[in-house]
Amino acid sequence: MRILYLDTSSSYLFSAIVEDEKVLAEVQKEYGQSLSEVTLPRIEEMFQQAKITPKEIDKIIVVNGPGSFTGIRIGLTIAKVYAWSLKIPITTIYSLEAMSISSEQQMIHIPIINARRGYVFAAVYDENQKCLLKPQHILLSKLQEEVKDYKNYEYITNDEFPDLNNVSAYKPNIEKIVRTFQDKEPINPHSVNPEYLKLTEAEESKL
Amino acid sequence: MKDIYILGIETSCDETSASIVKNGIEEIATVISSQIDIHKDYGGVVPEIASRHHVKNITMVLEECFEKANMKMDDIDAIAITYGPGLIGSLLIGLEAAKTLSFVYQKPLIPIHHIAGHIYANSLVKELEFPLLAVVVSGGHTELIEMTDHFKFHKLGGTLDDAIGECYDKVARVLGLEYPGGPKIDKLSAEGEPTYQLPVPLKDDSYNYSFSGLKSAVINLVHNEEQRGEDIRKADLAVSFQKASIEAITSKARKAIIDKNIKNVIVAGGVAASRALRKAMEDLTNELGVELSIPPMKYCTDNGAMIAAAGYYAYLEGRRADLNLNAKSQDTLN
Repeated sequence: MRILYLDTSSSYLFSAIVEDEKVLAEVQKEYGQSLSEVTLPRIEEMFQQAKITPKEIDKIIVVNGPGSFTGIRIGLTIAKVYAWSLKIPITTIYSLEAMSISSEQQMIHIPIINARRGYVFAAVYDENQKCLLKPQHILLSKLQEEVKDYKNYEYITNDEFPDLNNVSAYKPNIEKIVRTFQDKEPINPHSVNPEYLKLTEAEESKL
Repeated sequence: MKDIYILGIETSCDETSASIVKNGIEEIATVISSQIDIHKDYGGVVPEIASRHHVKNITMVLEECFEKANMKMDDIDAIAITYGPGLIGSLLIGLEAAKTLSFVYQKPLIPIHHIAGHIYANSLVKELEFPLLAVVVSGGHTELIEMTDHFKFHKLGGTLDDAIGECYDKVARVLGLEYPGGPKIDKLSAEGEPTYQLPVPLKDDSYNYSFSGLKSAVINLVHNEEQRGEDIRKADLAVSFQKASIEAITSKARKAIIDKNIKNVIVAGGVAASRALRKAMEDLTNELGVELSIPPMKYCTDNGAMIAAAGYYAYLEGRRADLNLNAKSQDTLN
């Protein structure tokens, strides 16, 4: 089974073609604002490297957030249009799950993404990947309060948090992420939608 | 000659649209998912909300379009996509969708400027004849464009500030009309008399427009009447405003037609739906003895069919884009 993995929820492009739990081609690179321009060309290069055609993909796993709103939509649009047009299964995972799973440390994982104005997108998982705090948009100070009683934990992030200790950089282990989620129940491509975990400012100001 | 089927995708503002057009003229199927009812609550388009709806709707719109056409991706010769100008977050959804289909099905990708799409909406009715003058009037654009051939655009002039449609929407808001206000002003105008004095914008020797002064004049007039405790005669103000704005459009169009010895005139863009503007353009072109073409109402607002129609001629011209095509919020028509 050949799986296309795609995560454009941050300033990085994380993508791979995985065949029977083996990575055939992979991209892990920071592109900042130019993800809309580079994502499909880099995917095309992966296919050339893997020596397969775009129609020879059996399943798509896509990260649906949280993270950069525009970034999430880029990857998700590609993934849902791809899956819809070929009628192949698609499934979504949280960026925060991918971050936690990629860690090698036997401890509590707290993946966090800067959401500005003192807020973060965060979740807490134990060493067995059991979710202790579900993915949410939360004040960093409140998150610190929530986790203060944990003894052995690490924050996982690629953003700058000068005031935090026990921080590890996020380096995706895509082979492991795909292995973990390859059997996850597929969803209808029409229902594949971003998990922003936050309303737009216009909607918030109406509340 | 083999028939050419173009899939056109348009997501530059608040409509998610896909269409399949045969040979640039025959509309096979069009689907438009409009967000007007969503943005109405905010008095205008909220970009982040628009983007969120595009990503939610895109595959459903594509699927419905193919079902209506009773076709599949393999039947398509090329994919035409609006790459700009427009709201960047909105454009990106259509763009990534088009690039993905181009990649998966190895079909040519054709970049279309949104205004070229509005102009080519006319070719869904009858083939364009050159040289022509395109009077582009929409929520984002007010331009006079001379075309000597397919995809040979020469911009004669444009608005120096607000677009005419933007001005309509703002005036509508002052009059307490719900977004989008343009069509409501047009409707209300039918019931009034042009009894309010408003300045005709930018009466000069250029091909340019300016609508911010007219907008301010309306706002000030309403404010002053309120201060005096006078009721605004809304229908009269609507017709007075339309008269001044349309006179600006037609006076510059008249100058361009005469100066450039134009024989064919087309009107394009959302404001082309205005009955008053259609009538004024008919009167002008009749007087000057030149041909006029205005797209039917359904092609005036944003739609995939006009992008597919433009895409057909761009396809014949050999225009292609790579997968690194990016969305542009601003771009010159060429």
